[in-house]
Amino acid sequence: MSALANKLMITEPDIQTPANTSDQRSQNAGLKVIVQTIREVAEGIREFTLVSADGSALPAFSGGSHIVVSMPSGTRIYRNAYSLLSPPQQRDHYRIAVRLQENSRGGSRFMHQEVKVGMALEVAWPLNLFALSRLARKQVLVAGGIGITPFMSQVQELLRQAQASQSAVLQTAGSKITPPDFELHYAYRSQDHAAYVPELQALLGDRLKCYDQSQGVTLDIRQLLAEQPLGTHVYTCGPEGMVQALLQSADELGWPPAHVHHEEFLAPPVGSPFTIKLASSQQEVQVGADQSMLEALEQAGVDAPYLCRGGACGRCELEVLSTDGTLEHHDHYLSAEEKRAGRKIMPCVSRARCDVIELNF
Amino acid sequence: MQAGYWIRSKPIYGGLQWQHKAQAHVIIASGEGGRAVLRLLQQQLPPQAIKVLYLPEAQADHSHALRHMLQDVLGLDLASALSRHDTAAALWLALDEVLTASRMGTRIYAAGDEAFLWQVAAQAALHGVLNADIMREQAASLARAVYCVHCKTISHHVNTNIATCSGCQRQLLVRDHFSRRLGAYMGLMIDAEEPGNVPDILEIYP
Ligand code: FES
Repeated sequence: MSALANKLMITEPDIQTPANTSDQRSQNAGLKVIVQTIREVAEGIREFTLVSADGSALPAFSGGSHIVVSMPSGTRIYRNAYSLLSPPQQRDHYRIAVRLQENSRGGSRFMHQEVKVGMALEVAWPLNLFALSRLARKQVLVAGGIGITPFMSQVQELLRQAQASQSAVLQTAGSKITPPDFELHYAYRSQDHAAYVPELQALLGDRLKCYDQSQGVTLDIRQLLAEQPLGTHVYTCGPEGMVQALLQSADELGWPPAHVHHEEFLAPPVGSPFTIKLASSQQEVQVGADQSMLEALEQAGVDAPYLCRGGACGRCELEVLSTDGTLEHHDHYLSAEEKRAGRKIMPCVSRARCDVIELNF
Repeated sequence: MQAGYWIRSKPIYGGLQWQHKAQAHVIIASGEGGRAVLRLLQQQLPPQAIKVLYLPEAQADHSHALRHMLQDVLGLDLASALSRHDTAAALWLALDEVLTASRMGTRIYAAGDEAFLWQVAAQAALHGVLNADIMREQAASLARAVYCVHCKTISHHVNTNIATCSGCQRQLLVRDHFSRRLGAYMGLMIDAEEPGNVPDILEIYP
């Protein structure tokens, strides 16, 4: 079982899994929003406040949700997923933060260079692939750098739970409802790279622990996981190395997989150009070097399925009928065996090193 | 008796096996479950701390064998490795204490009859332990706890296809529908249509 499959396997009732997201079409239809403000929240990280174009309330969401932003740039449309930072119950605006990726294929560069205040954008309905477990006795959130973003809405949800149960306890003395304890561990390269530290400090007080690497303060993930009480769930988002280290420590210490949740932002890696052949229509689609297969299909007017666009949810899976080269799997969804077998591909992040690949679509 | 089709709610239990990636091991057993624990202890022992919580039953008391195994064969400190309890209430209290002091990475194993396994799950759930986190072995008896859908009483140790409800004395057909919340199978009055017309009673859950 791949580690990310675990994340999506959690069976708490409130989690929307891709399989039962029936409203795929309305999600793709999207919401029209206007950029209200733009501000720099850390070096290379820009925050955008979005309000609905017609002034109506935006859809509510749960902590950990993201939206996919459509970015029309020249002849192509980039679609990137960004976590929602605003408090989940606040429906008059959404906030997202975008880090300028050094070798961006366009998405983050578009957001940084072309998006201006007052501009209209289209975003998909919020989707949560990183929801909090409702059965946890304690929640440990571990963020690295820009990986802080999904936790911004999660901490709001956790704080609200804590407050709600506090007033419930006051009303019925001796009540057994105790909200899960929680803490946020936030590691970053330096103060300049750390977004939202003062805001989080004000919100969380002692529940926030910061690790400033430039000051030599590092987070010992293994130690952190070794001392958690039974019933804890851990959530992590950040650079791949950090996420992998956490998954490995959790596994070695005997954490059951259902208690370990992670989210990685995967941007589709670049490669060399090739051609997709669609079996049903015999249509041929050229995939550019800096384009994902999904983007190429969309550009050619093919209505291919997707949800997360980050290799996590499995919604975009397509069957490979043949290829004259090799597949380059970058997703976290397929198991190692499935990747080896080469019969399936996740076109949102994966590609092929070949001349032609034929897909059953 | 229902056969030849598959009811999703009927739980399946594997055998106990050590989870070698762990910080500690807590094993909870009752009655015949003690035998499953003895089998587990015969497997290559993990290096982490082991604690067995045991509730003997009148017909099945493996306390001596467990004591012998843990202390004489394995050389463990009995005071920390085994806690034996005379009543279920004492066992649950002890389990609560152990779990309160436990950390993530503590592996939990349960062995006993089916109702016991689900009582363990319910106790552990109070500590945020998910069903899937617990290794279970249904020991020896296939006896069922039966929940009377009419008077809501749970009758324990039912070995037969039809059982008399210990609450309302109705004759209940024991179904395969299992409630994880109650740790019991549904029992429905069998002679509701034709009072007194009760099929042969057979021991099918020995
Ligand atoms: S869209 Fe989610 S895995 Fe591709």
